[in-house]
Amino acid sequence: MCNWCSYAGADKAGTAQLRVPHNLSAIRVMCTGRVDPQFVLKAFREGADGVVILGCHLGDCHYKEQNYRALQRHRILLAMLRQLGIEEERCRLDFVSAAEGEGFARLVTGMVEAIKTLGPLDLPVHSHGLDQKI
Amino acid sequence: MRVGVYFCLCGPNIAEKIDSEAVRQAAERLPGFGYCRTVEFLCSAAGKSAMEKDVRENRPDRVVVAACSPRDHEETFRGVLARAGMNPFLMQMVNVREHIAWVTADREKATEKAIRHIGAAMRRVVLHEPLERREIDVCTDVLIVGAGPAGLKAALNFAEAGRKVCLVEKEPVLGGLPARYEAMFPDMECGPCVLETVLGDVLHGPHAERIEILTLSSMEDVVGYYGNYTVTIRQSPRYISPDLCIACGECIPVCPAVSGNPFNYDRNDKKAVDYAFQGGLPNLPFIDAEICLRTTRNEDCRLCREACLVEGAVVYEDSGKKVTRQVGAILIATGAGLYDCSRLPNLGYGRLPDVFTSLEFERILAANGPTGGAIRKADGNPPKRIAIVHCVGSLDARHKEYCSGICCETAFKFNRLVAHKLPGAEVTHFYKTFSVSGKRGYKLFGEAGARASTRFVRYDDIDRLDIRSDGSGGHHVVLNAPTAAPSVTESDMVVLCPALVPSEGTARMARMLEAATDRFGFLEELHGRMDSVRSKVRGIYMAGTCQAPMDTQKAVEQGLAASGAILAGLVPGRKLVIEPVTAVVDQERCSACRSCIPVCPYKAISFDSGKDSAVVNSVLCVGCGTCVSTCPSGAIKGNHFTDEQVFAEIEGVLS
Repeated sequence: MCNWCSYAGADKAGTAQLRVPHNLSAIRVMCTGRVDPQFVLKAFREGADGVVILGCHLGDCHYKEQNYRALQRHRILLAMLRQLGIEEERCRLDFVSAAEGEGFARLVTGMVEAIKTLGPLDLPVHSHGLDQKI
Repeated sequence: MRVGVYFCLCGPNIAEKIDSEAVRQAAERLPGFGYCRTVEFLCSAAGKSAMEKDVRENRPDRVVVAACSPRDHEETFRGVLARAGMNPFLMQMVNVREHIAWVTADREKATEKAIRHIGAAMRRVVLHEPLERREIDVCTDVLIVGAGPAGLKAALNFAEAGRKVCLVEKEPVLGGLPARYEAMFPDMECGPCVLETVLGDVLHGPHAERIEILTLSSMEDVVGYYGNYTVTIRQSPRYISPDLCIACGECIPVCPAVSGNPFNYDRNDKKAVDYAFQGGLPNLPFIDAEICLRTTRNEDCRLCREACLVEGAVVYEDSGKKVTRQVGAILIATGAGLYDCSRLPNLGYGRLPDVFTSLEFERILAANGPTGGAIRKADGNPPKRIAIVHCVGSLDARHKEYCSGICCETAFKFNRLVAHKLPGAEVTHFYKTFSVSGKRGYKLFGEAGARASTRFVRYDDIDRLDIRSDGSGGHHVVLNAPTAAPSVTESDMVVLCPALVPSEGTARMARMLEAATDRFGFLEELHGRMDSVRSKVRGIYMAGTCQAPMDTQKAVEQGLAASGAILAGLVPGRKLVIEPVTAVVDQERCSACRSCIPVCPYKAISFDSGKDSAVVNSVLCVGCGTCVSTCPSGAIKGNHFTDEQVFAEIEGVLS
């Protein structure tokens, strides 16, 4: 979650005392441009059933255009996840502004619901440790 | 390694939602646990001083603060650690309030999540490094490129504040475009008169000795970064000594070389040695090497030197100079030009006589212009009917989508000047829409509308306007309506008011300084609303129409704003603090692929061929971390957000 828009949006959801799933954990980075695909692979390896990368809306990036880089990397990452047998729905990239507390709560609640329908991530045995090889 | 945990209850905010005793007991079982303090209000004065004292006494290796959002109080608690003698970066905050207590209904689940997140912070914080803020010396002098109203007012501000300013201007005279206007809207003050006071101060005022003026000059090279630029400026020869010339003008009538005067858009001639226009400051003629027989034909003409009353004032040997200046910041105020009217061939510009752009008409109206202020057609007669076309190339996706916001007031200024100079002459305004906002904008618009000689004709698409010769020296302005018959307006003179576009100098500066431009070519702001005088490259500022179309008032305001921002950032005796949360290249691991360089919008990364490695300039780096995740060799470390630190946090929250 980027520091400037989406993390602030999540804070806003807190200030407004909206409900956010307790099984969602935020990792703060300064910018989604910092989100190395390895961070996502690491999360899946550590048992996450889904990962959402949240940045500023396109055009609003605090660092000019780095969320576009995140967008490009996310597309490549999805292709890789497919090869690992991980459904695309488990790794989303979305945008939340600092004002969108409600939007944040709705988005992550929806994401958690969607992943519940998919069920827990059951990584095929052959992909264990693949992230480290990568 | 001992981690001290400070758990803030935030009054009932966290206390009611999370079992702090359960948190403490869980934390005790985690590796690295040193101690845990539960505090009522950690950010209160009492809370902070208790924490400072506690840290001082207990000397933890690392600290975890479980409280509110780091966006609220990370800096607060870093300050507490610094005061307690501990490196402020050896701390990690857990956002218990916003991300757990306030959004989780179930107390048990909230407590469980808080424990996981505190555990994650403990795993992460042991990997934190004691980062140091660095301080570097800075030069507090400033370079300003462009001596229009924005650059001039900024220069005065710097000089008054005691700073040295180098003011670079490509023309032989100062003042920018308004110096050439007979009158300025909305109050019809004469342009040179308005600028006179400003220029007087710049040239001879109480702080003028701190302003170095380089006319006929342009920036050739720049190296360095915010606080420490070395700029190379090339000054073309003037061939007239500013120290000796008394501006008597004796050299001008004897000069045999004549050519069109670019300052009047070739509407009259000037001599090779001449003033740009009467009243231009500094009040000095110059020799135009593109006209002078000595430079164009290699002739040994010495007529101007022979006519000169002062020995040594005419310097044929002048070869210009190249100077270097040390500055801390660069202010770009390179102004704007007009959209090229020949891109709208239906308007007849360049093809029909007596079709002018707004800038050309400004000079025709000016008392120091080519006709001494008389409005005359090519045949020498005064026009009886003048058509003024607004929105030329504006509000049009095929040309420029934006409204320049100044053309309407300029057009109504023309209306008034025409009414004054040619009583009874008809003026027809062809417009798409009117933009006369602000507390004075209505004034000239209202006056024009009240004049019996004024007519308004609205058009929706400039392609429907057709300006043709009427066969007897005048024009027919034809408006082709899609459904009705074409309406024809007869006119003897047409004035086109084109969109403002960035000047060539602006594009040149953007390239040289690697400052981003928007899709129109204007310099891009750090933030369009909140920081419109800062570029995205730290140390490069902008003011006036190089940033966006605007009137003189706004340009001056931006000059003042930019000077304020620069003065606040570069203070004599104060060092520049460099935040340590930046990217760092491991030169041993760098494979010299250069992938990181284009992804940095702040131009903070360059390639050092001597070291065969990319290098990050920590003054310019803002710590976004994009290059870190771009580097295929893993050679770039993102301070305070290293792979290991983020991995540890991920492991923690998922444990």
